Amino acid sequence: MSFDVETLTSDTVIVHVGEALDFRNADEFKETFQDYVEDDIQNFILDFSETEVLDSTGLGSIFSLYREISPQDGQVAFADVSRPVQVVVQLTRTYKVFRQYPSVEAAKEALAS
Amino acid sequence: MAEHSILIVEDDRTVRELLKHRLGKHYNVATATNGQDALDHVESSIPDLIISDIMMPKMDGFALQSALQSDKNTRVIPFIFLTARADEPARKQGERTGVDDYITKPFDMDQLLSRVERLLERVEVFQSNLDAEIGRDFSNRLLPDRLPDVNGYRFDFHAEAHAQGGGDLFDWVETDQGTYFLTIGDVMGKGLRAKFYAYSFLSYVRGTLHTLLKESTSPAAVMRSINEMLLSDEVLEDTFASFLLLHWNPHTHTVTYANAGHCRPVLVTPDGPEIAEHSDLILGLEEDTSFSDVTLDLAPGGALFAYTDGLTEQPGRNGDMLGEAAMRDLAAEAQDRDQPIEAIRTGTLDRSAADDFQDDILILWMQRSPNTD
Repeated sequence: MSFDVETLTSDTVIVHVGEALDFRNADEFKETFQDYVEDDIQNFILDFSETEVLDSTGLGSIFSLYREISPQDGQVAFADVSRPVQVVVQLTRTYKVFRQYPSVEAAKEALAS
Repeated sequence: MAEHSILIVEDDRTVRELLKHRLGKHYNVATATNGQDALDHVESSIPDLIISDIMMPKMDGFALQSALQSDKNTRVIPFIFLTARADEPARKQGERTGVDDYITKPFDMDQLLSRVERLLERVEVFQSNLDAEIGRDFSNRLLPDRLPDVNGYRFDFHAEAHAQGGGDLFDWVETDQGTYFLTIGDVMGKGLRAKFYAYSFLSYVRGTLHTLLKESTSPAAVMRSINEMLLSDEVLEDTFASFLLLHWNPHTHTVTYANAGHCRPVLVTPDGPEIAEHSDLILGLEEDTSFSDVTLDLAPGGALFAYTDGLTEQPGRNGDMLGEAAMRDLAAEAQDRDQPIEAIRTGTLDRSAADDFQDDILILWMQRSPNTD
């Protein structure tokens, strides 16, 4: 399974995470964002609307993304966060780092302004 | 599972291309036209299996096979000879060691494929057994072989490793003042990689504690220094971990903790169990993360229950993970038991849709005796 990525502007993309981001596809997620980071994409909107599984390896791959883009003031935004994702974000206190938005649209607007 | 790589060594172009075409459907195939060519290839990248012709110009199959046998890194590569009928006498002449199979040309492609598959399967089983063994070894090193023994307290600890588990760790040290510093952590990721990082990590934490405890017993201060290390160390660069550091003082009956994104412990009080609410950001994510110390009082009969996410992420009967609320209930049930940890274990499985644990689990239970002051 590969990740569905939508280019929004020259520095922002939307990644539709899909049903699961876990130890099975975390490496693939890393390869995917790596290509965009090399193309100077700074902002990543992660669409979690369909996500039922986010395990610690999956979350770790999102952390890797954050570590790569934060020195350039890039952002990782969480959009339309499903309940299972919410639980993980709460537990690890990562809502302190990743801004959350009720929808992809809301995240788009916030990042555009 | 990564695709296996096969090196085909054959001077006859037709046979070479045929093999490449058929094997290429299942494996990552490279080709060489003689023994020397093959050795050059092996030098730059070691294949999972070699299929070689015998009669070839420059360096023949026997010479190639002997050359591979002389190096311990290449000796173990599974090796299949493709022999023409005319080679039979030569083959019988020298029974060679290190050849896994002979296939006589003209060969049946399906037979070749099934032999290749069987050989690679054998290698894989060997590899995964080895991984499991190393994993168990790491797991054992990530856990202490004895526990604190303190008057007026019971201290129970239990950990069990799962094949698909990750990097749970636990360690403790007694300070010069007769207090205890406990470290519980979970390094993100699964399998051998996570265990390896957890192991490197724990070694660092042990070293840091040794130095820091001379100056301060603040878990938050230790947490800051571990976070700095994670962010600056190149080897650990992509490593993230949740940590719970506890400073337990049995004389004042207090536990001071700092929590970096770890499962929140349960404090059992005279009014019932409650979650130790405060926690900060997980380690390895951001520089200058602030961590704070929170102090809890252990009343007579009171207990502290700490654990890793193997318990909370165990699937419940309705398919959702058990979560924190179940941990609070389990603590209440375990409080008056002779074997609190066993009560938590079985209580978890009773609530679960699965018969066994799906991940590493780690449980720590420390309880003050009811009749101490």
